[in-house]
Amino acid sequence: MIRAGRIQVWDLPVRLFHWLLVASVSTALTTELAAPESWMGVHIAAGTVVVLLLVFRLVWGVFGGEYSRIASFLYSPRRTFAHLRGLALRRPPHYLGHNPTGAVMIFALMAVLTGLVATGLIELGGEEKQGPLAGILSYALGNGVKPVHKVLAYAVIGMILFHVAGVLVEGALTRAPLIRAMFTGWKPVDGDLPPESIEVPRAASPKAAALWFAAIVLPGLAVLALLWQLPPTGVLHPLREPLLDSECGACHRPFHPSLLPRASWAALMANLSDHFGEDASLPPDEVKRIGDYLQTYAAEAWDTEAAHRFSVVSPDQPLRITETPYWRRKHAHIDPAVFARKEIGAKSNCGACHGDAATGRFDDQAIRIPIQNP
Amino acid sequence: MKRVVTHSFHLPRLPLLVAGIALLATGVAAAAPQRDAILAALAAEAKAADSAFAGFSAERGGAFWNADHTGGNAETPSCTSCHTRDPTAEGKTRAGKSIAPMAVSKTPDRFTDAEKVTKWFNRSCKNVLGRVCTPTEEGDIIMYLSGK
Repeated sequence: MIRAGRIQVWDLPVRLFHWLLVASVSTALTTELAAPESWMGVHIAAGTVVVLLLVFRLVWGVFGGEYSRIASFLYSPRRTFAHLRGLALRRPPHYLGHNPTGAVMIFALMAVLTGLVATGLIELGGEEKQGPLAGILSYALGNGVKPVHKVLAYAVIGMILFHVAGVLVEGALTRAPLIRAMFTGWKPVDGDLPPESIEVPRAASPKAAALWFAAIVLPGLAVLALLWQLPPTGVLHPLREPLLDSECGACHRPFHPSLLPRASWAALMANLSDHFGEDASLPPDEVKRIGDYLQTYAAEAWDTEAAHRFSVVSPDQPLRITETPYWRRKHAHIDPAVFARKEIGAKSNCGACHGDAATGRFDDQAIRIPIQNP
Repeated sequence: MKRVVTHSFHLPRLPLLVAGIALLATGVAAAAPQRDAILAALAAEAKAADSAFAGFSAERGGAFWNADHTGGNAETPSCTSCHTRDPTAEGKTRAGKSIAPMAVSKTPDRFTDAEKVTKWFNRSCKNVLGRVCTPTEEGDIIMYLSGK
């Protein structure tokens, strides 16, 4: 669209895409870096929005308006270097749409975001046993991509800073109102179009774009929904052992068997007369029944994050779950006064804050720290 | 539209009520014989250990219950460390789990399951005193808490 003295460079879908991406990526970064772990649901929702935005942008990159089309900002290396050289000399060639340096950033950002959502989905399925891939991925894989997810997230922060700096620099050098244009879509044109601009801008085909978007997203969703039906790998559903509930549960909320390895459970059951300073003796037949249950469903039998984490015990106190390196690290930021609250009472009362402690899942979203009631 | 009125079949109410109360009464009463049997067994043991034994005392039981002892876990020197000084109140284990009141008036089935009584006296006495309790001490405590 060209009107007297101005041209619409960014069509509405591209502007919406840009600001929704700003919102969803900011939300994902904030929930990971600054929010408590119970906000993981918001992090996942933000990541899901990023996936949909990425698919949309690719489709709109084919069927959108001239300046939205990927083909319109695929520049040769020569032109990219010419633009960089211009930047260095403080008189970059003026482009109405994405300039070559900006285009490099866009492709890089799209690639990194794709990597982020992919590794996020793998982490979610493998490590957290949540989401559509929980039924096919192992903890080892989910945990393995974790550093990649982290590095890509820091890369995105760097790219955002670089992008904003680039906009400020280009805006200063070309005097173009770049930020306003990302809200209104319009850029002013003084007399003739800049020499690098396209003579006859192509129009968008929203219908084709909508069809292609649906053609990609719907089957994708169908596949994920089917995979979602699979039970998560390595998450067992043992029948409860009534003796465990009545005998262990008489003094403390029974711990999930996956929270210690077999060797620790065996040592613990062999010394009930001195059970963390208490006499908790049981008749031999009951010791055997509870012991057998704990051996069957100890950490080694599961593929959950909790089971893997807690199978690494403290060398000095191998029987104490609350002394494992992972437990200590994850609870280091919690004030000791919180554990003393009436609703919690002790560090060992997992279920006071972890709503799903009895299942052994320990989902981040299930964490609710009770507020002290006077 | 025609309303269908169904006449429900009424059981005679009064006899049912009487039967219910009777059932409840036997339930409550049935608890006491079991406690009496436990006390009787303890009394026999006490007598065997000391021929001068002349019955249990709620007063002695209360003094024992509230006293600070030595020899057990330093964190729990007294029965009241976990059960609190008020037997009609809920107690709390070291692990933070609440314990139903020990007073029979609040928890009527206290001291009615001989196995459970033995198990918990053995454990708790070791935790507080570092030894098992004598039959006299156990009987005194049951007397004390039965009157609370």
